Amino acid sequence: MRHPIYLIYGLLLLGMVTLAEYRGWTFTSVNELKNVPKSVRDNPGAYRSHYMYYARHVGGK
Amino acid sequence: MSAPAQPPQVKALNCPNCAAPLTIRGFEHTLTVVCPNCLSVLDAKDPNFAILEKFQAKQRVEPLIPLGTRGKWRGDPWEVIGFQVRTIMADGVPYSWSEYLLFNPFKGFRYLTEYQGHWNDVTVLRTLPEVAMSSGNRIARVLGQTFRHFQTAEAETTFVLGEFPWRVHAGERARVMDFVAPPRMLSSEQTESETVWSLGEYTAGARIWEAFQLPGKPPRPVGVFENQPSPYTGSVKQIWLLCLFLLLSLLSVSQLFLIFDRQEKVFEHSYDFKPGATQEASFVTPEFDLKGRTSTVEVEISTDIANNWAYFNLALINTETGQALDFGREVSYYYGRDSDGSWSEGGPHTTALVPSVPPGRYYLRVEPERDPAASGMRYGIVIRRDVPSMMFLWIAALLLVIPPAFVTFRAMGFETTRWRESDYAPSGGGGD
Repeated sequence: MRHPIYLIYGLLLLGMVTLAEYRGWTFTSVNELKNVPKSVRDNPGAYRSHYMYYARHVGGK
Repeated sequence: MSAPAQPPQVKALNCPNCAAPLTIRGFEHTLTVVCPNCLSVLDAKDPNFAILEKFQAKQRVEPLIPLGTRGKWRGDPWEVIGFQVRTIMADGVPYSWSEYLLFNPFKGFRYLTEYQGHWNDVTVLRTLPEVAMSSGNRIARVLGQTFRHFQTAEAETTFVLGEFPWRVHAGERARVMDFVAPPRMLSSEQTESETVWSLGEYTAGARIWEAFQLPGKPPRPVGVFENQPSPYTGSVKQIWLLCLFLLLSLLSVSQLFLIFDRQEKVFEHSYDFKPGATQEASFVTPEFDLKGRTSTVEVEISTDIANNWAYFNLALINTETGQALDFGREVSYYYGRDSDGSWSEGGPHTTALVPSVPPGRYYLRVEPERDPAASGMRYGIVIRRDVPSMMFLWIAALLLVIPPAFVTFRAMGFETTRWRESDYAPSGGGGD
């Protein structure tokens, strides 16, 4: 075997992909909030989103 | 035949020009001897060592392996009896290499050549190679091996020392032609009277130093020599095969996740949205269960927008723990036609793959936004549990390909450097 480091590197990548898939990791940006009051269920407008979103596109070509 | 236990006796005489002691090691094979003191070329067959020529070297060269050095090379004892420097001119620049003549009374002669720290073990061929053209390239075949033409040049002997089995003289010229098949090199030397073919094999200087028990270390090789074996030979193919194996393994792992991930649809509904309406835009969906292990949740939104945008503030809220995962998605879809033809940007659909959502009972809070001047929009929301993310597959595949690509690039660079010195250099080479 002339490339043992590459083999280890590849197997580590393979392991990382397997772990990421198993654990359900994604690149989606999500803000986590805890203890959201149950009243949101009845009054959705009272909830304030903490997600920081980027400026939206408002035009075409 | 085994080598004698005792070193053969040498013949000692004096130079008729400067009276320096001379040693003849090659016995009856020696035709010419060069005085190590005054560099006079003497006739070794003449009982009085008649002076054939007074060699006028511009600069005295000290051989890296002193004359008279003995060593065991390829299983046999050899003694260094002669040394010469030969020079070719390329684009007005002189390039010189050294040749060490080795002698064994039972085996004959062989050479060690050295150019900028690159060594070759050379023997004279007794088989005549076949020179031919193949795919526009000059090649030579001998002993079942094909060699590619590297360069042709006019070589001049610029310095000599010791004994030689031929009539050496100052300024001796020969047309040398090199063919390569690393680690071997096939060379022809053509003079007016004869053509001699020799076969060289690239040899590490350290091996020579060890064989001849020379002090210190051999000079470090500079650049890439014409028959220097590439350190990447076989390496490129092997690393790509390993890459292929890893990519197939990666694909198999992804396929397994595609097969065994639930990808279960847990919610689906369509809604209407009118921007600027006085009623509250946000709402929550009915509750739904997310089963299985901690995994992904995919939220897919399909709209009917055209040349407009919509934004969705989303929160996936666990009814039991009060944990909320806030995220947002923009949908923008524009299209038209201009001088370049039809164009479009974006699309009416979007998906968000929410990471690592624990199992439990959830609902989704949705807060759509649009340009207040825009018309109403109909959109649908589909929520799926345990959907694989192919993004990691593509990133890992890219990371797997980078090292083999780098090795390939290095291997190509090595060969480019090798052939830059040949008659087939990308520029400056002129062939012969």
